[in-house]
Amino acid sequence: MDQGVIASEGLPEPLTNPFGLIHLVLPENLAVSTHVLRGSGKNSKYILKREFAFFLESRETDEKMPVRWTSPLKSYEKRTSSGILVGDILTVHGGFISIHPKGPCRFGRSGLSCRYCGDTKELGKHPPFTKRDLIEALRIVLQEKSCDIVNLSSGHVETEDGGVEWLSPWVTEIRRHVNIMISLDLVPPKTNEWIDKTYAIGVDALYYDLDFFNPHDEPASQAVRDHQRQLEALEYAAKIFSRGAVLSHVVIGFEPPEETIRNIDLLVDRGVVPILVYFPPNDGAELKKRWTVTPEKIQRLYAHLFERLVEKKITPHWVQQGDVVLTPMEGRFFSEKKAGYHLPLIQFYQTGLGRTVRSGLASIRRHLRVREVPVP
Amino acid sequence: MKIKIDTRPLPIVILSRWWRFLVYIGLGLSLYHFYDFTPPEGLSAEGFRALIIFVTCLILWVFHLLPLPVTGLFALVAPPLFGVMSAKQAFSFFGSEPVFFILGVFILAAALLKSGLSTRLALWLLRSGAKSPKRLVLQIMLASALLSFIMSEHAVAAMMFPLVVIITQSLRFVPHGGSYGRVLFLAMAWGCVVGGIATMLGGARVPLAIGILQESGNGTITFIEWTLAMVPIVIATFAFCYILLTRYFTIDVDSVAEADAVIAKKVQECGRMVLEEKFLALLIVASVASWMFLGYKIGMATISILAVVLLFMFRVVDWKDLQENVEWGVILMYGGAIGISSILSSTGAGLWLAKTYVLPHLHSPALMIILLSLITILMTEAMSNSAVVAILLPIGISLANSFGLNPKVVVFSVASASGLAYALPMSTPSVALAYSSGYLRIKEVILPGTIMALFSWIMLLLAAKFWWPVWGIKAF
Repeated sequence: MDQGVIASEGLPEPLTNPFGLIHLVLPENLAVSTHVLRGSGKNSKYILKREFAFFLESRETDEKMPVRWTSPLKSYEKRTSSGILVGDILTVHGGFISIHPKGPCRFGRSGLSCRYCGDTKELGKHPPFTKRDLIEALRIVLQEKSCDIVNLSSGHVETEDGGVEWLSPWVTEIRRHVNIMISLDLVPPKTNEWIDKTYAIGVDALYYDLDFFNPHDEPASQAVRDHQRQLEALEYAAKIFSRGAVLSHVVIGFEPPEETIRNIDLLVDRGVVPILVYFPPNDGAELKKRWTVTPEKIQRLYAHLFERLVEKKITPHWVQQGDVVLTPMEGRFFSEKKAGYHLPLIQFYQTGLGRTVRSGLASIRRHLRVREVPVP
Repeated sequence: MKIKIDTRPLPIVILSRWWRFLVYIGLGLSLYHFYDFTPPEGLSAEGFRALIIFVTCLILWVFHLLPLPVTGLFALVAPPLFGVMSAKQAFSFFGSEPVFFILGVFILAAALLKSGLSTRLALWLLRSGAKSPKRLVLQIMLASALLSFIMSEHAVAAMMFPLVVIITQSLRFVPHGGSYGRVLFLAMAWGCVVGGIATMLGGARVPLAIGILQESGNGTITFIEWTLAMVPIVIATFAFCYILLTRYFTIDVDSVAEADAVIAKKVQECGRMVLEEKFLALLIVASVASWMFLGYKIGMATISILAVVLLFMFRVVDWKDLQENVEWGVILMYGGAIGISSILSSTGAGLWLAKTYVLPHLHSPALMIILLSLITILMTEAMSNSAVVAILLPIGISLANSFGLNPKVVVFSVASASGLAYALPMSTPSVALAYSSGYLRIKEVILPGTIMALFSWIMLLLAAKFWWPVWGIKAF
């Protein structure tokens, strides 16, 4: 599926969202988004067809797989009162809303195709939006579709706070107007005080991305020191936030699988949930030369991740990024370990009552844990 | 303030944050359970309920489950809720004279602070050329004590604290760096404590005690009566305090010339007395004189409220400025405390409690005064002194009536002893302020503080035995 699907004739229009992605739900309720290719699409293995219902047809075996097509959100075409397109403010992936108030994320700068931001979405060219625009956009989207979490990205920053100070007013504004969980995608800060503040302002989940974090890549001592600090920050954050609410993207496919397994263990042992990112680089990109894996090779990575999280009693589904990446929960398909109570819990959290209970518990937890103490 | 995340296991965090709710539920269930309980022999149903309310308030006050003023409000609404008395009667306790007396006193003290007159007075008392370190200690003690004659000791401590900080810094002392810095802060705190019992103005606990006495139908105590009763205790304790401070602690400084220079500079900064300050000084003098000589005739509250009216007629201060400096919560607490005492008295619950549980163990009025004052001193080290008065005095007055003793003796003993807290930071705001300087450690203060408390207690008992009878109040 990573190479997209070919669209046959007679499919409804618009088939994809404004960023060229189609949302499909595979068997076992597995949501995916992928590109739609017109014409031959030489690399794609599947053709999307509709007879009575939608199905994917394998080009190699003619095998048919029933799928559900999710029509693109109409909200993307709507505008806020200041005239900004909702699609220019956010992208929705299942129950996950992705927002980049400051500019493109680090993936967007790396030459990888970032499905959070939208493949064809050139964030740099989008008009800047205000907090009010964001609240209006969120309300428009939430009227059309129930969502669990809104994720704000700090973009690339080199400040001591890792970008949380700049995002803080945005978080406050969302907390004031919309009842939804909030996650932040930040650069690990220089001191742990910023992590305390991040939790205290009302953030429910946190991403500190290590990206290509293997220190052997860059043996320079500064890189090793930065890496150490990043791990420290992640470990500390895992003690502050709910179990499973501290996540770190780990881009896979650029290093041997054994190395990735070591890194998964490194993070899981610190209470962090690694999100394995399988984003093949575009043809012609510099990174394409380092791309070594195939989908088959990485299955055991996902299985290992799921098993380690269950073993460590870390919630593998705190943040479900819907159709963007294979989340740790999807690792169950490649593992012999049972998902146990996690699946019913996910289903419960996707109901109105479940969302209320979840956000209520998160608020109570914050109320209990956050204290203001006088500065000595 | 700094954000801190409590990472202890959640059940422990829940218990540490919400244990109060468990106690509230427990209290609520107990109240419900005891409401229809058959009262013990000799106690009416109303008396029994009054006791339940008293015990509930006692728990709320002792464990600080609610802010003191809020417990005071609960004490006002509980009697009508439990059918002990009508709402009209219960809320009328807010109209009692001591409540308005203390309101007026608070406003006058706030005006003194706001106008800067109190600072001027303190500097005047400090400036007269502190030639030696010991003399500076005496001057700080004297300034704190004398100002506590006319203002609440808490307000005096708050005003003196920055001055003592500046003086200590000018002598180049750092927290925990030398003994003399410690002595100066203790001189301020203990000066306030000792001075605070001298008149009715040093702390709101005395008006509260008198209010409780009045509501129990046992007469009242005048300004002069109180002051005369306390004079020997204050003089002896003040002298002992000075000796203790200068002998127990090492005076590790030879000259205080730098402090002198700082005080002189501060005096210069104050400039000339403005008209408002002069008027305020005159008003305070006139008020004190009126409380002493006319208080019995026209009422203490009448004088204090009249002084407040004059304050505003001559535009000495703005209402907005005063609002921030008056402890309104204390007023609420007092209304409730007086109410509690009144229901204990009117339903006979206080007397029943004293006769059933306390009197059989007390063999003489002397023992009662000795124990009551000791318990008060011990309790006030850990609790608000007003709460101690509110808890102990209703029982004490009932005991005095049982012994045929003048209840004024109990008021003198409990109300003065409740102000005599020296050792622990939670005892009084003036001691807490001294600790907040960083110059004091509990282990260094606990012994001299205990010696001070013991000495004060002995002085109190000696005054009860030999001095109060001179003025017609026979104790034992």
